[in-house]
Amino acid sequence: MKRTLTLLMAALALSLGATAFGQTEITLGRFFGACEQAGTDIKSAVGEACIIQSIINAFSAADNGIKVNTLPTDWGNYYDQLKAMFAAGNPPNIFVIHKHAIPEFASLGALADLGPDLAQVGIDPNDWTAAGKAAVTYDGKIYAIPMDVHANLWYVNMDIMKQAGLVNADGTPMVPHSPEELLQQAKIVKEKTGKDYLTADFSQFPIGVRLVLSLVWQQNSELFTSTKANVDSPEAKKAVETIVSLFKGGYADPTLNYNDSMQSFINGNAAILVNGDWVVNSLDAQTKDPKVALKHFYVDNFPTLFQTPATWADSHTWAIPSTLKKQNPDEYWAALKLAKWIYDHDLDWARTGHLSVSKSVIANPAYAALPHRQEYANTVNIARDVKQTTHYDAIQNVLNRQLQAIWLTDKPIDQALKDANQQVQDILDQ
Amino acid sequence: MVGSRGRDRVLMPLLTVLAVLWLVPVLWMLSMSLQPNELLARTTSNTFLGLIPIPFTFHNFIRLFTLGLTPRWFLNSMIVSIGMTVLVLALSSMAGFAFARIRFRGRNLVFALVLAGLVIPEQAVFIPLYTMFADWHWHNTYQALIAPRLAVPIGVFLMTQFFRGIPSYIEEAAQLDGANRWTLFTRIMLPLSVPALTTLAILTFLYAWNDYLWPLVSANHKEMFTITVGLASIQSNFAQSEGLGRVMASGVMASLPMILLFLVFQRYVVRGIAMGGGK
Amino acid sequence: MDTTGPTPDRAVRPGGARGRSGGLRDTLEGYAFAGPFLVAYGLFLIYPFFKGIWISLHDWNLLAVAFNPAAKHFVGLKNYVHMVWGQHLVWGVDHLVWARAIGLAAVVAALALASRGRLPWRTAVPLAVVGVLLFGVALGIHPASDGRWYDRRFWHIVWNTLLFVLLTVPSVTVIALGLAIALNRQSRHAAALRTAFFLSQVLSVTVVTLIWQLMFSPKQGILANLFRTLGLQPIEWITNPQLAMPAIVITTVWWSIGFALIIFLAGLQEIPAELYEAARIDGAGGWRIVRNITLPALSRTTTLVVVLQIILQFQVFGQSHLITRGGPDDSTQVLVRYIYQTAFQNSRLGYASALSVFLFIFMLGFSLLQARLQGSD
Repeated sequence: MKRTLTLLMAALALSLGATAFGQTEITLGRFFGACEQAGTDIKSAVGEACIIQSIINAFSAADNGIKVNTLPTDWGNYYDQLKAMFAAGNPPNIFVIHKHAIPEFASLGALADLGPDLAQVGIDPNDWTAAGKAAVTYDGKIYAIPMDVHANLWYVNMDIMKQAGLVNADGTPMVPHSPEELLQQAKIVKEKTGKDYLTADFSQFPIGVRLVLSLVWQQNSELFTSTKANVDSPEAKKAVETIVSLFKGGYADPTLNYNDSMQSFINGNAAILVNGDWVVNSLDAQTKDPKVALKHFYVDNFPTLFQTPATWADSHTWAIPSTLKKQNPDEYWAALKLAKWIYDHDLDWARTGHLSVSKSVIANPAYAALPHRQEYANTVNIARDVKQTTHYDAIQNVLNRQLQAIWLTDKPIDQALKDANQQVQDILDQ
Repeated sequence: MVGSRGRDRVLMPLLTVLAVLWLVPVLWMLSMSLQPNELLARTTSNTFLGLIPIPFTFHNFIRLFTLGLTPRWFLNSMIVSIGMTVLVLALSSMAGFAFARIRFRGRNLVFALVLAGLVIPEQAVFIPLYTMFADWHWHNTYQALIAPRLAVPIGVFLMTQFFRGIPSYIEEAAQLDGANRWTLFTRIMLPLSVPALTTLAILTFLYAWNDYLWPLVSANHKEMFTITVGLASIQSNFAQSEGLGRVMASGVMASLPMILLFLVFQRYVVRGIAMGGGK
Repeated sequence: MDTTGPTPDRAVRPGGARGRSGGLRDTLEGYAFAGPFLVAYGLFLIYPFFKGIWISLHDWNLLAVAFNPAAKHFVGLKNYVHMVWGQHLVWGVDHLVWARAIGLAAVVAALALASRGRLPWRTAVPLAVVGVLLFGVALGIHPASDGRWYDRRFWHIVWNTLLFVLLTVPSVTVIALGLAIALNRQSRHAAALRTAFFLSQVLSVTVVTLIWQLMFSPKQGILANLFRTLGLQPIEWITNPQLAMPAIVITTVWWSIGFALIIFLAGLQEIPAELYEAARIDGAGGWRIVRNITLPALSRTTTLVVVLQIILQFQVFGQSHLITRGGPDDSTQVLVRYIYQTAFQNSRLGYASALSVFLFIFMLGFSLLQARLQGSD
């Protein structure tokens, strides 16, 4: 009798425990910056950090038995810390990872092969665009769930362009079609308005690298393949010279970092901003502030200065550590459910300015109706990314260092490209 | 005490100006923390180079206390710094006492080995420590942040030097009174060594408070960040231009208690070092 | 901390503690007192140090080994060769000729001092040997036109680190010394100024870099804003390869002067007042008192400050990592940041460990040099 009672109590405790303590807590790693004021109201959030955090918060608050604990939001050290966490044996249960970093992590066996389990949580890879699918596929396996394609855009301050007379009859800004036209426009802007022609982060994050990559692709060349560095090519030189001509003419300032360049554009000190599509939303919010000098801006596709249209692009995707499914299946499935939730909110994420990777979102009229979206509608067709390599981060560091040496320290272009070529080759040979 | 009156009339005003300039970065941070973020996104020099917080707002601080993790990071830093300081003082003074006042077998050899450790920089061991703590599942704990510093022999060196300087008749008198070693250590030696302990405490506390590399790799759950790592995490992300005032408010929050602590204890700081460390 | 303490039962009997012969009790008690530290020392410093040397002999990928402990390969000294050596290296008289000439001149000067009895031979001879090997031989090695260093960045980064130390340590020492002498007086005014100069020391490295990053910004910086109001072109500190290093040196000096200042003040307070009185009676003026009394009396304090600074500044990381990110063109990349990036960005733990061992040898060399010079005082 006593024994039965004990058993009964135990069973009761277990079932109670299952409901009361059935919460699965998962950890999530991401960058995009902190948004501490994010609530669960996804619709009202503005900017990358707040939109993604409100999506996560809403999932965590929903009645699904899953709590989400968001880990570091540090940009500069994100991948270092992710690797450190993996090495210490406690990676986040789900984390954001760039398309370009998937080969490195997947080849070392760090990422779970999600392909077989997607259907179980209701994710349909057939809804992904070709670019989305390519982003998460390595060696034939699906290692992540795509969230966007993000590309470099051509942000245009329309008031400055009007003043310079560089606006078409239909109200769209004139775009350059060759390096010569680019320089000519720059000259006109400078003469007519006294403003800088172009601003971008040339001194901090690798946005200059992305610019050069785009211009190299436009000439049907590559800076490197999976085995061979090709940085000291005539095409690369031409691309770099095009950018340097803007600095030499005083039409752009290479010393600005990310924030400086944003401030410069917002303050109406530059006609063009080259930056990723993630600032469409926040720039739009800024123009509503009457004190901000930037009143009207147009978001154009990155212009084609050479033969083939191309602009740099990458993807944010969500991956899960390979060890999780065996160690803790509950957390694994919870993480997958969160990935589905995020994917289901791809339209909200697209508000940042990012390009959706969901066919159903793209077909949704609300997507096309997002601010400025029509202006850069063609970007999805010209977006390109680097060839898959397990060393992209290291290569990007080399390129950024050598390109900054060119525009910040006047290092001769030939020398810098030659050095970069050797160093990239060293990395590829490792 | 040095110098004549005539020189003072030039020197002191000059130094005062220099001191004010010296403080400009700190004042600027304080001023920015009290200005609206939207303004700072446009300009950082609104009133008198931005040194005067007009327009004025407490918003950044309110946000910080209601939403941010800065208080938590501050607490972590406090726990780590105080814990490290207490343990370093305890371990160093005990070992220093042993090396200086007890003739045990192998003492000279062991002491020489300990001194050799003085030249091993933290960076020469942080990678193996990292993998070791990973095996022990120590990362993201306080002990992981505290333990590595306990091995640094500078404190032992300092305390040994200090104890050696204490005249032996004090010890002998205590022993005649029947005191054992532990009593001798706690009742006689420790009270005598307050100046040296103060110096060591300040060195250790400052080191712990400012340590960046080790917490950066060891603590990667943001609840375990120390203030140094936490602040780095908010300043280096893309959102900075939208929240300069916030970031600066965190900086002020991180610094203010240290500054107050220093202002309260500064007399002891100088005196402690004067008696203990200058030798 | 628990206060029960070691070996209470053994020590209760009086008299025994008086044994000075190195007996069993002394030995037990000695190890009991030193034990806690020795355990921490062995566990957290000595063991990892040798483990680091062991790792440095491997090709060891941080992530790969985490997933498969067998994924490391023993490579012997390959990491070290890769670090310091190159392909088709040649030796040339004219390579780095000025630096080497100055170095060799210093060797000659040391020998000259020794021959006049101003420097003991036991100091001068080792110095001269090291100097000749370093300046006469080692610095003449460089890659031929078709050659290369295996690690093209390494020696440049070593030089940056050295340059940082050479710029920072004397600046901190001289400024702190000057301020200490000027502010060593009992007035509220002087106390307030001492506080002001010490204040920056208590800020954490991230706060310091946060402020100075903005101070130096050509758009948002206070200097830039001031320059613009005066109609001048703002200086681009962080993006100029000639100014980036000075920028982080300025930041570091501003940050780390406080502690040196206090040590100097403490040293000054130990100088007996009678010395000054005597000098004053002899009619010595301010500067002569400083030169003839204060500075000589502070020589040991100065050594302490310099040694502490050297050890500290060789390990610079935060300033370079957070303000300039090592740039532009690697002009502020320093050893510790390179170690960090090699280990945690490129996952090359073996090579990073070899770099750490190099840093250790480098600092050991400096400490020995310092000890030699100090010993000759």
